[in-house]
Amino acid sequence: MLSLDLNLVWNIINLVVLYLLLSHFLFKPVMGIMEKRRQIIEDGLKNAQAAQDDAAKMKQEYEDALRGAKQESVQILEKARSAAKSEYDRIVGEAGDKAGNIIESAKETVRAEREKTMKELQGEIAGLAVASAAKIVGRTADEDLYDQFLKEVGGTHDDTDDK
Amino acid sequence: MNSSKGGSNTGNLVDTLMEELNCETVFTLPVLGGISESVVVTWIIMAVLVLLSIVLVRNLRVENPGKVQLALEAGIGWAQDFFEGIIGKENRRYIPYLITVLLYLAFSNTIAPLFGFKPPTKDLNVTAGLAIMSMCLIEYSGIHKNGLKHWVKHFAQPVPVVAPIMILEVIIRPLSLCMRLFGNMLAGFVVMELLKTIVPLIIPIPVSFYFDIFDGLLQAYVFVFLTGLFMNEEME
Repeated sequence: MLSLDLNLVWNIINLVVLYLLLSHFLFKPVMGIMEKRRQIIEDGLKNAQAAQDDAAKMKQEYEDALRGAKQESVQILEKARSAAKSEYDRIVGEAGDKAGNIIESAKETVRAEREKTMKELQGEIAGLAVASAAKIVGRTADEDLYDQFLKEVGGTHDDTDDK
Repeated sequence: MNSSKGGSNTGNLVDTLMEELNCETVFTLPVLGGISESVVVTWIIMAVLVLLSIVLVRNLRVENPGKVQLALEAGIGWAQDFFEGIIGKENRRYIPYLITVLLYLAFSNTIAPLFGFKPPTKDLNVTAGLAIMSMCLIEYSGIHKNGLKHWVKHFAQPVPVVAPIMILEVIIRPLSLCMRLFGNMLAGFVVMELLKTIVPLIIPIPVSFYFDIFDGLLQAYVFVFLTGLFMNEEME
């Protein structure tokens, strides 16, 4: 019972063999699995962090791009507005000029027409007067009539002279 | 007659006790000598442990582990955390040995009531072997961690006067481990055998739970706990 013998050595050998067997059959696979799982979880967390960072960066980029686009659109709108305004001014000015020209030419035409008409009328009146005078002279070379005519004409003549 | 009867009874009791306590030589090998019962029981425990490991470790998966795997991982993880707490994370490489000893002791201390074998730990050869292994591991861990020079120097610290005591401690620590385990198991075994001889029915059951199961597991725990503690001390 209380004696040490060679069995001590056998037991030590047993223990060492048991340790080797268990570390090969039990600890290595189980701890390997646990380590692998831990690795996977760590990787997953890392990946999630990276994805989140990426998303944040992308969002920042998009926001910047959006802001730029907004500014650009405002600029484009401004430019378009100013271009439209100048075009409008130009067109309106041109139209005004053209209208002025048309009116001017119309007035010119009207005046020319009137002068022409007046001339024609004067000619006609003169012709009529000559004709009527010739008729009167031809029919009755009346002294009175001449006198009357002269009086009339002279009267106007006198009037203008008097003036 | 009365006295002679009592005497024969006592003689019978002593005989049975001695028979139970003796570690019989199971068989004798030609060159190596006698193989005692404890060695054979240790072989059986080893076989059971290895077979159990092989069966339980089959089909391990990283994802969607089964219930058996979860239980296994929980057990190993608990032991790992326990020893990491004692000897530190940087000395993880000693943990498998400590868990092996824990498993072996837990099985051998509780094998008596469960399967009827004599516990191997009631043989001094087993506990002495374990203690010698622990001693080697304790000193090796210290040398490995801090170097041979530091290991030699640490005997003379804090003052050189304590050197003899420090050197004695190298022997005393494993001796205390060995004797504590041996004494506990032997005492529990003797008490149980006495009780079984006197009252064979019912009564031994709760007592067996205390002396065999509880004390056995407690001693296994204490053995590896103290080994880890001494290693940590040595590695400081």
